[in-house]
Amino acid sequence: MAGCGALGSASATLLVRAGVGYVRIIDRDFVETSNLQRQTLYDEDDVASGMPKAAIAAQKLQRANTSVRVEPRVADLTASSAEALLRDVDVIVDAIDNFEARFLVNDVAVKHSIPWVYGAVIATYGLTMTIRPGETACLRCLLPEAPAPGSVDTCATAGILGPVVECIAALQVTEALKLLLGRTDELCGGLAQFDVWDRELSVVDVPRQSDCPTCVQARYDYLRAESTAETVSLCGREAIQISVPRTQPLVLTELAARIRGFAPVQESPFMVRFCVDGREINVFADGRAIIKGTTDEALARKLYAEYVGT
Amino acid sequence: MPVVIQIPTPLRRFTGGRRTVTVEAHTVGAALDELTGIFPDVRAGLQRPDGSLRSDARLFVGAEDIRGLGGLDTPVSDGDVIAIIPPVAGA
Repeated sequence: MAGCGALGSASATLLVRAGVGYVRIIDRDFVETSNLQRQTLYDEDDVASGMPKAAIAAQKLQRANTSVRVEPRVADLTASSAEALLRDVDVIVDAIDNFEARFLVNDVAVKHSIPWVYGAVIATYGLTMTIRPGETACLRCLLPEAPAPGSVDTCATAGILGPVVECIAALQVTEALKLLLGRTDELCGGLAQFDVWDRELSVVDVPRQSDCPTCVQARYDYLRAESTAETVSLCGREAIQISVPRTQPLVLTELAARIRGFAPVQESPFMVRFCVDGREINVFADGRAIIKGTTDEALARKLYAEYVGT
Repeated sequence: MPVVIQIPTPLRRFTGGRRTVTVEAHTVGAALDELTGIFPDVRAGLQRPDGSLRSDARLFVGAEDIRGLGGLDTPVSDGDVIAIIPPVAGA
């Protein structure tokens, strides 16, 4: 599972309960109250706990089916992490909330010939397409490049109706099960779009593009991106994520001890949370931080440098 | 000749909530011109400022991507359905 928010909650539940032998749940975030309307694996206790979604999801799903091995990975999909996180699985189910990470998944999937199931939702509407590298169109055959920032609706601007999530996840998981069972001749074979409000489902053919940079030219542009500090404004929230490549792992216990000298700290094996200047700073073991209470990337970088260091 | 353009949910706020718009046109490009003439706000979701198609906007005649046909010059005939598939990122 690439992502474990709304689509991820629904898909991971279906996969684990179906008895898929091993499920790796990759997610970078923790639970917020605004998630609960559509992210059905989580509850208000999880918001209060401050635990990461991947850890909570794995814990709950393991109880649903102890015969399945569920592995949580609290991590961000980046150019430097994506291959290690994804290349050794049989199928990737997409439940990501941004195009950059989806193109990374596409690069890894095509490079390592791993089938994957694209899925995305907005408002009452969703899309899904099954991608088999070398056999079908890939994501860049469909979309040569990510849309310009601000040019498409996000969950902040348009919202997501809970029921459409369940519908698209159901279509995605059905495709994933067919892939795992080797029933590839029974796959959907196109891009399915569905509006749950209007009950409109249609499927269109997406042809492979003879000049596709990824699946024809084997150019993995998103994986080759320079590994630099990245700041990302998080969908639907007044929050900035900062990712800093680190040569040494961050020791959360040491960070917590330092911060405790001047501010209360909430600490778990996965993250450290504290507040300064009215902003909530959440630092993960992989060195990422999510800084809530600002949309100012420069301010977020400054707070990271001051309190976490690089 | 009348062709039907299916408006995807994310663009319906630009078409007064209309799910379909029927226009008179002989090509996909002409059909889009008719559509954006009636609903100018939908243009930003489909076209660049120079009038060319946005690279992330996918258009289909029936179930076929117009890139495999004739692009915006793809001919359309009476009763054809043009579908617009927008980029969607949410999860």
